[in-house]
Amino acid sequence: MKRNPLILFFIAAIVAAMLFAGMRVARKNRENGSPTGQLMGQVAPDFELPSLDGKNLKLSDLRGKAVLLNFWATYCGPCKIEMPWFVELQKQYGPQGFQIVGVAMDDASTEEISKFAKDMGVNYPILLGKESVGQSYGGVSVLPTTFFLDRDGKLIAREFGLQSRSVFVDHIKKALSQGQAVQAQK
Amino acid sequence: MKIFVVSALVLFSTLTPAQEDFGQQAPSIKMDPAPVVTVVQGKAGNVPLSFRVPGGYHINSNKPKSEFLIPTVLKVDATTDIVIGGTTYPEGHDMSFAFAPDEKLNVYTGDFKVNVSVRPLHSVQPGKYIVRGTLKYQACDNRACYPPKKLPMSFDVKIARAPAVRGQNPAQSPHAH
Repeated sequence: MKRNPLILFFIAAIVAAMLFAGMRVARKNRENGSPTGQLMGQVAPDFELPSLDGKNLKLSDLRGKAVLLNFWATYCGPCKIEMPWFVELQKQYGPQGFQIVGVAMDDASTEEISKFAKDMGVNYPILLGKESVGQSYGGVSVLPTTFFLDRDGKLIAREFGLQSRSVFVDHIKKALSQGQAVQAQK
Repeated sequence: MKIFVVSALVLFSTLTPAQEDFGQQAPSIKMDPAPVVTVVQGKAGNVPLSFRVPGGYHINSNKPKSEFLIPTVLKVDATTDIVIGGTTYPEGHDMSFAFAPDEKLNVYTGDFKVNVSVRPLHSVQPGKYIVRGTLKYQACDNRACYPPKKLPMSFDVKIARAPAVRGQNPAQSPHAH
């Protein structure tokens, strides 16, 4: 029996679309069911960590600002790509009440992390991360992992792995536009 | 046409696992069962160990190009009966990745072999001995990196009795006539 190639193509396309949709749905369900997914819309877990300059930084002290919380490591190539963007974004959006916070999830020494941050020209605080802090955010098993907090400290988005700069800009704008500080200004 | 249809199916249905598993957990390196190497008492032998990096991922070689990168290292536990000699790593491949197209990293992808040199002591009893160790590695894909992991591993070494030395008389005193 000779089959029409066009029909075969349509069948293949439908099956492929179903597979693709199925995987998307499965992924979405998995994310929503994951600890990280459940945190969305909630106030971000608070923590206090030492920074490279020797001071402690408490996340909740940044309430009123939009925050980009970036978990990274010195061994992480993709993290290195994002850092110059973060330097620029901190300069650009800082005056509007935006703060980037880097959390180094590293086995490297404080000196090595400092050297790395200095080489990258980092202009935002770098904190020395702890496994327990990563766990409170659902476990940081992928680097970079970046969370976005609105001015009320609520988690509004998170990204796993290297993203394009425009993705960060979109989340930052959204984070800046949400929260009580914005309401108070209106 | 059939080829096109099959290709389309394969393309869509095998969206890389690295993409779909994203945000889940670090990839795991697998080790093939190590061959049982027979080594004679007091002599050196070589144990080839085969490891496999899952598709879509890479790990740093034993000699990565940056001080910040974590090298792949096989640590073999010391034993009382077998001296563990050197560990020989393969040369990595110089590769560029989407996250740093201008930079070459020295990495292992796919299959790679590490050789461990062993030398049983003269005094050790013939038989099968187990040697344990850990492969430490740190994996990345095109968009992300994963925390360092340790793969426990082991291999067997069969120690054979050294052949009796022939054609040699017992030591005699030159004055024993």
